[in-house]
Amino acid sequence: MRPGFVLEVDERTPPLLVHSGDGVLLERFPLGTRVVYPPQPRGGVESVDAAIGAALDAPVGESAPLAALLRPGMRLAISVQDLTAPSPRMRGRDVRGRILERVLSLAAAAGVDEVTLVVAGGLNRRLSAAEVARLVGERVFRSFWPQRLVCHDAEDIAGLVEVGTAESGEALQVARVVAQADLLVAVEVVQTPGAGGAAGLVGGLSSYASLRGVRGVAAVMRDAGLSGSVSSGSLVDGSLVDGPAADGPAAGDGGSAAARLGAVLGAAVPVFAVTATVNLAVGPAGSAFLTRREWEWSLADQAMAFGVGRGMDLLAGRVRRRALRELAADYAITSVTAGEVSAVSAAAWAQVLEQQAVEVPGQADVLVVGSAPFGPYHGSGPADPVLAAHGALAGVFGGYRGVPVVRENGAMIVYHPMAARFSQLHQPSYVDFYEEVLAESSEPATIEAKFERQYATDPWYTSLYQTSLALHGVHPFHRWYETAPARGYLGEVVFVGGNRAVCARLGFRAASTLADALEIVSGSVGRDPSIAYVHSPPGLVAQVR
Amino acid sequence: MGLRERLAGRRVLVTGMTGFMGEALLERLLSDFPDTQVVALVRPRGSHSGAARLARMLRKPSFGPLRERLGAAELAAVLARQVQVVEGDLASLPQLPAEIDVVIHCAGEVSFDPPIDDAFRINVGGVQELVRALRAGGSAPHLVHVSTAYVAGLRSGHIAEGPLAHGVDWRVEQAYAARVREQTEDASRSPENSARFRRAAGRGFAAAGAQTVSAEAERLRREWVARRLVSAGGERAQVLGWTDAYTFTKALAERWLEEHHGELPLTVVRPSIIESALARPFPGWIEGFKMAEPLIIAYGRGELPDFPASPDAVVDIIPIDLVVNATLAAAAAPPPVDSPAYYTVCSGFRNPLRFQELYSHVREYFLADPLPQRGRGAIGVPQWPFAGAPAAEARLRRGELVVGAAGRVLSQVPASRRARVWAGQLERAQTRVGFLRRYSDVYRAYTKAELVYVDDATRALYEGLDEADKVDFGFDPRCFDWRHYLQEVHCPAVTAVLRRPRAAAAPRRLSGNLAAGDGVLAVFDLDGAVAAASVVESYLWMRLADEGVWGRARELASLAAALPGYARADRRDRGHLMRAVYARYAGVDPLELERLVAEVAGDVLLRRVRPAGIRRVREHRAAGHRTVLLTGALEVVTRPLASLFDDVVAARLEVGGDGRLTGRLESSPLVGDARAAFVRHHARGVGADLSVSWAYADSQSDLPLLGAVGNPVAVNPDVALHQVARGSGWPIEEWLVAAGESRMVVGSRVERRWQAAAGRGVR
Repeated sequence: MRPGFVLEVDERTPPLLVHSGDGVLLERFPLGTRVVYPPQPRGGVESVDAAIGAALDAPVGESAPLAALLRPGMRLAISVQDLTAPSPRMRGRDVRGRILERVLSLAAAAGVDEVTLVVAGGLNRRLSAAEVARLVGERVFRSFWPQRLVCHDAEDIAGLVEVGTAESGEALQVARVVAQADLLVAVEVVQTPGAGGAAGLVGGLSSYASLRGVRGVAAVMRDAGLSGSVSSGSLVDGSLVDGPAADGPAAGDGGSAAARLGAVLGAAVPVFAVTATVNLAVGPAGSAFLTRREWEWSLADQAMAFGVGRGMDLLAGRVRRRALRELAADYAITSVTAGEVSAVSAAAWAQVLEQQAVEVPGQADVLVVGSAPFGPYHGSGPADPVLAAHGALAGVFGGYRGVPVVRENGAMIVYHPMAARFSQLHQPSYVDFYEEVLAESSEPATIEAKFERQYATDPWYTSLYQTSLALHGVHPFHRWYETAPARGYLGEVVFVGGNRAVCARLGFRAASTLADALEIVSGSVGRDPSIAYVHSPPGLVAQVR
Repeated sequence: MGLRERLAGRRVLVTGMTGFMGEALLERLLSDFPDTQVVALVRPRGSHSGAARLARMLRKPSFGPLRERLGAAELAAVLARQVQVVEGDLASLPQLPAEIDVVIHCAGEVSFDPPIDDAFRINVGGVQELVRALRAGGSAPHLVHVSTAYVAGLRSGHIAEGPLAHGVDWRVEQAYAARVREQTEDASRSPENSARFRRAAGRGFAAAGAQTVSAEAERLRREWVARRLVSAGGERAQVLGWTDAYTFTKALAERWLEEHHGELPLTVVRPSIIESALARPFPGWIEGFKMAEPLIIAYGRGELPDFPASPDAVVDIIPIDLVVNATLAAAAAPPPVDSPAYYTVCSGFRNPLRFQELYSHVREYFLADPLPQRGRGAIGVPQWPFAGAPAAEARLRRGELVVGAAGRVLSQVPASRRARVWAGQLERAQTRVGFLRRYSDVYRAYTKAELVYVDDATRALYEGLDEADKVDFGFDPRCFDWRHYLQEVHCPAVTAVLRRPRAAAAPRRLSGNLAAGDGVLAVFDLDGAVAAASVVESYLWMRLADEGVWGRARELASLAAALPGYARADRRDRGHLMRAVYARYAGVDPLELERLVAEVAGDVLLRRVRPAGIRRVREHRAAGHRTVLLTGALEVVTRPLASLFDDVVAARLEVGGDGRLTGRLESSPLVGDARAAFVRHHARGVGADLSVSWAYADSQSDLPLLGAVGNPVAVNPDVALHQVARGSGWPIEEWLVAAGESRMVVGSRVERRWQAAAGRGVR
């Protein structure tokens, strides 16, 4: 594996690749800009099936091998998560399907008849039949769909059972099939440190009521450990705790509120986790230029980069988004671990962290980031402004250990067109969130107090979430709250190429070029700021010294 | 002896008191002739009695100075003391009081192009009835008849004051005018004409259903009758040598009076074009728009590039207060019974204003003080080339041709945002061309007639006044300067209303302010309003989703071949279209159809739903209204939206004996009039009040539905509905599909394969 590194831009540095929503561009950065490159993708295990078998036979933590846990007559529940990983989606056969086949054949061998598979989507959108089939594999799909292979419904009152209460008082309701199972096998893919695990299980299998507390603004701020107040944007206490990256749908380790709820679930139902990790990939094998370094580009890479940049411009908006919607990446499976949840997560996180960590010398005044054409919640929809802001402020910004890449009250510059485009099918509540909620306030705490309950319990959003392919009514709220730590910590956020009206509504600034953006932020960071460009995607975790 | 003394103790009957001239007369009589009794003939209108109408007149600006001097209460008291109201109509007058000394007859039809029967009834018949009633009342007053200088008709040169020389027999003309309405009404009902109106109505409104077409045909018929009567008047007048029906009937009224005034002393006052007041009741007072104002304003707005008039033609304008003074002076000087007096009140002989001067005064005025255009600074005024009537006419013709052609093209354009913008622009262009045409026609005769009215008698009347009266009641046209009058009196008065600062019109927003209430329906049309989809499309989703590549190609090809027919059917009748499309479902398994909808069409429908529409439905629900979805689409297709509506009314397909669809509908499709009828029936059923209910629809076929409710809203309307909506003042809304949404009819190949597999899994 070739580790990540930090490049200092000098006269010989070629224009660098920047993702901007659904296009790419080649941008010249000011001299002295520090460019943080992620490590190049490493190879995977040689035989995935062998690795799965080995993991099931030799679990980590205090757990017996899976075969030993299975017995005839038992009720076995299998959950499949994290639906938001990997992103972009995995091309070809999903590794979870392979794990499921292995687990199911073990169960069959042990004489277990009562098996239910739950796609643990939580408050994310239900998957269509085609998507479920792609996730679990055709054979499993045909055998179990739709009676014994179901998507979790967080609004199905009859299908939820309360299994306990966290010490902080949060009651936990989970899917009945899981609560009443003798064993829960949790199958997941981890791509980001801190994602998934026990917290991910809770996120995928419980209800809005259970998650309200752990996903609220206060909890998000606490978990992030950036003690800045959201509204004033200043840090009360300058010290930053050494926390995990606040990335992914269910951030946190044992310290976070979600993780505490995970522990409650673990206490109620025995859980055997099987987790695969994937390497860093951005697109299909043909698009290697996306992860290569610009000065090492072959002629073919240069042609591709130029072609993609121009080609995307030439494609009409709808065709372009369609092309990106079909985007899938060729991943290598870097590890498979099984056993006790916390030990499995720890091993998986260590594995992905090792792949993504980059040492960065000191904080910068200005953080520049691109924005990927894909994201955990985009689904098949285009990147809308709310999720774009989330991707930058919660995703890329949160990719650090110790302290953020940018200093407190520094500036963040993001490339994204920020057009008010939402998927009517997937994001009905986002459309109204943008039109009604953000039109009134962009302040997470204000929004939480005034609008969350109304959206979360709206019968129309609920019905779309249950019967169609819509994200839950509260989904945009949770994503917006996750941007709160960065909003509080940063002095200014500017979107290059962003639609001005949209940016203003979201509480950001818009600039047409990088130079303009630097001009805009010069008031707070000065004329000659130190600039760090995080060359992402693929995602990386900056360890700031 | 002064005027006041000469009219003191007299009773003056005034007709047409509520008109421009009558109002000015009343103001003068109340403020300056306290000892003159006034008998006002006022027609009651609506719930207002004649006296009430008169009392309301006192609140008008013309009585402002007097009201200020006396106070409102005292003014009302003066009115009560000095004025006796006789309620009545010139068509049949009641008993008039005896002892009337003077009659000032200002009532008349003043529009230039009235229907011929109205013109005769009012202008000739009114005089006849007035004289009959006066005689019946037993008084023999001095009759002052207010006519117009233009009774001279199409002549040129000097026109003296005196009886007109013409041989037209008023009896024949009046009898013809009385018959012509009945004849025209009959003609309009002939089979040929009925067929013509029906065809024309059908071209525009076939899709809306028979009731709408009949209503439109009847409207066209009435319009045709009115047009015929107007042109009957205008053409008859011109063939006999008058400019229009107004001057023609006024001339015949004079002739009748000359023949029949008998023992009544007769004075004919002939003012030219009456315009705003020079001094009384205050400079610039004008009521409504008269003859030149629309042109002055159009010019000031930069909309009048030229005018078909010769620059040296005389425009004979006279301020209203001069006309009132002359009339009062004439009233105070009864002529001998056997020699009626004629007074032309005009400016053209002694203080002529040529068109070129009028133009340059007005132009100077607007250059110095241009009209504001809201938010865009001042409007520039054009420079007239005076290219002559033929050039201006040719230009107007071209404009009419272009507008007409654009209208025909636009009526064929499918509904789209662009088409609606064009329709708005076209409408403005039509208004403008229509305006130019009307005024060009009306003024052609006046600007062509290069005649000079000699006003020697009026001058002698003026010279006969006391010196004090010459100041107080003067009517010498030389007493003012045109530049002063036009630039400082007339134009400022005429344009004042346009200069009033106006707040930017707030965009009409329905959102967020729906009144809550029981018994309110909110009816939504699905196709084209709530969702951007049509019957044909919804058919396609379902057929294509289940076909292989070749099957899809075949299906598309056969549909493409049938499409022109469908387009025609849609224009003609929505019901035909739906039947044609649904026939293609023949042989389909209904369960299969449901499965497809559950998996594909539902999502496709939700993709095409317009967020603003959904938001509006939800607002109505929140306000406690009963929401109804009306659609020609299949019921299964609407299922994803069903939870938003209290009632869903959709098409259902008939299932045959073999358990498969027959391709026929279970009942007639709900289109056009049937929608209105359904909504009425439904409202009765659920106890709703349609007058406070709402309907949202997008096409002309929904006109009956929109017309049935109190709050119709046109959503993304087609051009036909757009025009109706604008004409009726219905709100027009643009609901957009969420930007960036895929318009693809079906999912990708891979998705479809899995969907098919999923379907097999179920069975």
